[in-house]
Amino acid sequence: MKSVYVLSAEMTKYGKSQLSARELALEASKKAILEAGISPVDVQAGFVANAFSLSEKQGHLGPIIMSGLGIPDVPASTIESACASGSAAIREAWVNIGAGLYDCMLVVGVEKVSQLDTITATTYFSFGSDYIFEGACGASFPGLYGALARAHMTKFGTTEEQLATVAVKNHENALSNPNAHLHKKITIDDVLKSPVVASPLKLFDACPFSDGAAAAILCSEDFLRKSRGKISDQIVIRGSGRAGGTGALHQRDDMTSLNSAILAGREAFKRANLTQKDIDFAEVHDCFTIAELVAEEDLGFVPRGQAAKLTQEGYTKLNGELPINPSGGLKAKGHPVGATGVGQVVEIYEQLHGKAGGRQVENARIGLTHNVGATGGSCAVHIFEIN
Amino acid sequence: MTEQFQTQKQSSLTVKEFQEGIREGKIEGYKCSKCGHKQIDIIEFCPVCHSPDLEKVEFSGKGSVVTYTIQLVAPEQFMNEVPYAWAVINLDDGPRVTGWIPFISKPSDLPVGQRVEFKKSYLPGTVFEKI
Repeated sequence: MKSVYVLSAEMTKYGKSQLSARELALEASKKAILEAGISPVDVQAGFVANAFSLSEKQGHLGPIIMSGLGIPDVPASTIESACASGSAAIREAWVNIGAGLYDCMLVVGVEKVSQLDTITATTYFSFGSDYIFEGACGASFPGLYGALARAHMTKFGTTEEQLATVAVKNHENALSNPNAHLHKKITIDDVLKSPVVASPLKLFDACPFSDGAAAAILCSEDFLRKSRGKISDQIVIRGSGRAGGTGALHQRDDMTSLNSAILAGREAFKRANLTQKDIDFAEVHDCFTIAELVAEEDLGFVPRGQAAKLTQEGYTKLNGELPINPSGGLKAKGHPVGATGVGQVVEIYEQLHGKAGGRQVENARIGLTHNVGATGGSCAVHIFEIN
Repeated sequence: MTEQFQTQKQSSLTVKEFQEGIREGKIEGYKCSKCGHKQIDIIEFCPVCHSPDLEKVEFSGKGSVVTYTIQLVAPEQFMNEVPYAWAVINLDDGPRVTGWIPFISKPSDLPVGQRVEFKKSYLPGTVFEKI
């Protein structure tokens, strides 16, 4: 495989938007193209990450976005892997450039769901489960993660208060992220007293439904040399890992971890030839507070069953041993499903270039992203280094 | 109306048959003819030994709760039913299954390990009750 670089990564603000998916995707793509210092005609192919565009009566986003960028003859397909669509698209672009097929690609993730009321959005999201066994039996997405949380609490004694510490930390980090959906400092008590959605998970254990888009320009070393005239001070994808898991929770022996995340993490570390100790910070998939704790354990950052206690002690805070979700994570930065995995790369880009302002991780040189689809049916992990 | 085409499905359990089975009071799934692995799912190969030889079997319907959630916000079809539990259940004769358990409003109503039994219903999914 050839080396693959991140030339730029940009995003719209996350939150509730009046714009449609195509407009959000165009805004993020334009910013990424301009930040990269390239022309749209340099883009040889694209991937669009999206899960719910049919709710706006629009499929086939690829040609619509490419046409909007003035390059209608450039091929672009949609990658759908539920909430992991964005990182799955990054993975496929890494494969295409790594294999030498293309030298410069656009990956744009986008979601627009705020036109849906809460019940309709909950229903759409439940379609990402194994519907016959989960959605059709009354499980919502928070319900499935509620069942995972209950399993973790039963096996390891994790408490609702410990889950709440994840939400408090990520809300705090998001205060320094101008693009975050939620800018609201919260306390443990606020989380514990928020309305129950799917026990043991409450409203403040959950990420919001967000609109937004994020885009990245990925390229080969040849392209980088030509466009930048150097390859130093650039971000390279050191490792990529991708794995699957059963769609339904009842097909798994263990519901305290996600096997796809364990496998994707192992592949990414192996390809990067790095270990957990080399990672300066990580953006992980905290769609619910429990998911961040499971992610830390699945990626091998902390021993099994220890994530809750260590998080409570501040291990993963911005000034802790291993900052997790300095951006605010899905929990507070927001979760525009298709955009999320690409948006994680935006945080990597800003952190590694030292442009993260009040949430800057000191001396950040190597960062990791972990992005999960549904309850772990899909997972992709990437490791990035600034050289 | 055009006639629907017939499938060449080797194993006999279709989604429609599974859902009709629920309405008749049966939980059906597969047993691998080679290694004996049992699973309630829609599959064409055994996930353990990867044999394509699967037979349709009916399971007992009694088991214990492995984990669960209590839904207070629910998808459209269930919005008038809250609160209720959705659970993963270990059946006594082998496989795991999921289930809707009505009339559960707090964790003390449904401790992990609670014995439950499958109930015939007209819902598209499996329904259980406490024993």
